[in-house]
Amino acid sequence: MLGALKMNRLNTLRMIWIIATGILLFRLIYLQGLQGRTYRNLAEKNRLRLIVEEAPRGLVVDRQGVVLATNQTFYRVAIIPQELEDLSSIVETLSLLTHQPIDRLQENYRKARSLPFLPATVLTRLSKDQALHLEEERWRMPGLLVKPELIRSYPLGSTAAHLLGYVSQPNPQELGRLKSLGLSPAGLVGRYGLEQYLETDLRGQAGGRVVEVDHRARQVRVVDQQLPRAGQPVSLTIDASLQTLIEQSFQDQPGACVVLDPWTGEILAMVSVPTFSPAVFSMGETKTIRQLLEDINAPLMNRATLGVYTPGSILKLISATAALEHQLINPSTKISCPGSWTLGDRTFHCWNRDGHGVLSLSEAIMHSCNVYFLQVGRKLGAVRLLKTLDQAGCSHRTGWPLGEAAGHLPSRYLTDGEVAMLAIGQGEVLLTPLQAAVMVSAFANGGQKLTPWVVSKIKDRSVNERHSLHPLGWSAKTIETVRRGMIAAVGDPSGTAHRAYDPNVSVAGKTGTAQTHLPGQTHGWFVGFCPVESPRAAMAIVTEHGGSGGDLPAEIARSICEYVVAAGI
Amino acid sequence: MVFRDSQRCWDVSLLVSASILAIAGTAAMISATGTTTPTLAVRHILYLLLGWVSYYTASRRAYPYWMRWMGIAYGCSIFLLVLVLLFGSERLGASRWLSIFGISLQPSEIAKLATIGVLARYLVGQPRPLPPNVVGFSLGLVALPLLLIFLQPDLGSASIFGAFWLGMVWVAGISPRMLMTGVGVSAGLLPFGWWLLKDYQRQRLMIFLHPDADPLGAGYNIIQSTIAIGSGQWWGRGWAAGTQNRLRFVPERHSDFIFCIIGEEWGFLGCMIVIVAFGVLLFRALRIAQQSPVPLGRLLAVGIASWIAYQALVNLGMVMGLIPVVGVPLPLLSYGGSSMIVVWTALGFLESIHRTQRPHGGL
Repeated sequence: MLGALKMNRLNTLRMIWIIATGILLFRLIYLQGLQGRTYRNLAEKNRLRLIVEEAPRGLVVDRQGVVLATNQTFYRVAIIPQELEDLSSIVETLSLLTHQPIDRLQENYRKARSLPFLPATVLTRLSKDQALHLEEERWRMPGLLVKPELIRSYPLGSTAAHLLGYVSQPNPQELGRLKSLGLSPAGLVGRYGLEQYLETDLRGQAGGRVVEVDHRARQVRVVDQQLPRAGQPVSLTIDASLQTLIEQSFQDQPGACVVLDPWTGEILAMVSVPTFSPAVFSMGETKTIRQLLEDINAPLMNRATLGVYTPGSILKLISATAALEHQLINPSTKISCPGSWTLGDRTFHCWNRDGHGVLSLSEAIMHSCNVYFLQVGRKLGAVRLLKTLDQAGCSHRTGWPLGEAAGHLPSRYLTDGEVAMLAIGQGEVLLTPLQAAVMVSAFANGGQKLTPWVVSKIKDRSVNERHSLHPLGWSAKTIETVRRGMIAAVGDPSGTAHRAYDPNVSVAGKTGTAQTHLPGQTHGWFVGFCPVESPRAAMAIVTEHGGSGGDLPAEIARSICEYVVAAGI
Repeated sequence: MVFRDSQRCWDVSLLVSASILAIAGTAAMISATGTTTPTLAVRHILYLLLGWVSYYTASRRAYPYWMRWMGIAYGCSIFLLVLVLLFGSERLGASRWLSIFGISLQPSEIAKLATIGVLARYLVGQPRPLPPNVVGFSLGLVALPLLLIFLQPDLGSASIFGAFWLGMVWVAGISPRMLMTGVGVSAGLLPFGWWLLKDYQRQRLMIFLHPDADPLGAGYNIIQSTIAIGSGQWWGRGWAAGTQNRLRFVPERHSDFIFCIIGEEWGFLGCMIVIVAFGVLLFRALRIAQQSPVPLGRLLAVGIASWIAYQALVNLGMVMGLIPVVGVPLPLLSYGGSSMIVVWTALGFLESIHRTQRPHGGL
């Protein structure tokens, strides 16, 4: 009996063992059999690290090859958490050497720290001198790492900032999307302008190494390696010198200017004032960025394509064209301007209260006579006027790829008075400077509508085949008549655009002084082209609340025309 | 008791299964330490040879001879355990080793076998079911080394004493009711035990419950060891080809986590060989206990069997992430001279018990 008891009790121990081993067996089948693949992947992830090497971003050059955007080598300072001995002493030394507050360095480290073997960046954008200095003192700071980084830079500062755009660090929401596109989170991303539009060409392809590491993330060997492919260089149609010249001539007066080749649509210059320095974004200067974002003058907005302005008298060119095309007037039609004109119970005044006397069409354009064009508008009526405005590209996007406003034309019923006002460019009508430049190009190229473009080459591949000219169907005679008025406006000493006159260049132009919703505040316009005989540049200039179009805009036009002829564009 | 027919009656399965485990351990050891600290592998082989020598020596004499020394061994190990607490060399936050003349010694290993010996001697001839005072005194015999080891602190090793005590008093005939009462009371006291634990032990328990809470800190061991075992899949990555091993992601891979190397490099197949070998070893030990004509041999065999089985189960459960990390080596495989020699000596005792049953021709 005792023997049986003993046997039983040994069997209890055997049972316990069998049950326990059974559990272990199931666990092994689970770990190695069912989840084996997952754990194999985890083991691979443990040992393999991808070290990304950013590709240098493609250069951007102007039509002469002047570099507008390039890359500059800066240095970043990182701390490798697992090699760190004493954070506070490192931070203290670092603070002394770089003149950065200790708190900020510690905060940066705390935020950037992720895995013990991944360097946590505490400072970026250090100059070479600073980096060398730190490198000399590095022996005092175990765990510190100084490595080069390529930062987008713009040698001409703020020149063509709105065209070029900027790059900046991707934000956390974008990281996921970027990763799915194969972009590494470390690199800067094009955010605005051409930097954004040409992102795929400019970015290039990041390279890197797959490194086998041990448990302390020390490199054991390189498993695979791929060199980064640099971004493709991009050539633009703009002329950097012309661009700078125009930017300077605005003298901080808010406004915009577009200069283009009326035969091809190439943008020669595109200016928007106030401007900004794109390097601020790639350098991550948060304080300046915030100022830019909060500035009520919206310096980040490209006024040349997104700014919409009441056109004022520059629209008289289209009114004249419409009236000529519909044969309501001919070049010799004379209309008298007594200084005012009454329609129903409403009296409209000419800008010259004394009146212009009896005027032909080209004289009316030259003097920008309101009474003449009010009457032309009245004769045309809403349908014919709006049709021609529509033809000339008002309220249509020009096909500009970097974002543009469509402008505005009224689509509701217009009273006779409103139609007359529309003919002198007042009322419910808005244009972007780019639209104005496209519109005036038609008078330079014999009545053809063009599509503006700015990227001429990506690497060696020409990308301008998409531009083309579309005839508007206006007769040569009409165009010649309007041109004569534009030439007189500049060339005649009493012409409104005479400030654009230069004895060495023949310039055709038309000014505009558009009333705004602010009493006494007017937008000044100048549209025109040069040289008259064989136009090489058409332009539109607007100064925001900048007084008369005959003043600063006409002067800027003169500088442009002088440059165009001198530089032989 | 006279030894007869000593040349004829080797328990081959016992020796072979134990040797398979030891050789598997050695192969894993070479893979784990070969490129970094090859001296460890060399020493491991040396310890194994010493282990075989002690196995042979122990098996050559009738175990009652050795049992006579157990009282002295017990006394010495208690003394050494006290010395460890006073002068022990600290490693990983615990004092477990004693350096004597340049040889480092782990007294808790000696204390295991010595305590099993004195416990067996004490329980022989006690009435069944065991009276409470006998249970109490036997518990006292175990509690003394257990507490000294617990203070090192070494929760894992301390629990081994509880395990073989349970096995031995169970076979010695404790009444199930008393056992249940004891278990009930212990379970009731368990929450108070929380206060006795060191911070790192509490942390280990919490990590066991949430290993992913701090994957690079305290949960690292469990995660890396399960990755190593799992990545071995069915057939393993090949000897010395495990990345978790070679790149040192598995911590303590030559000692407590040696099974990870087998899991990673030899896969499910290798793991099964180890588990089956342990199964054969245990069943042989219990068979020897069963066939022993005298209670002393039976109790000694049961004590040794429950010790090795428990320690193996705890270690395997730990590296597979089934139970919290307690620093318990895998018998016969993990690195450690004291453990290796003491385990082989214990196996020698089993062999000796096996032989001794013969002269009487069974019960």
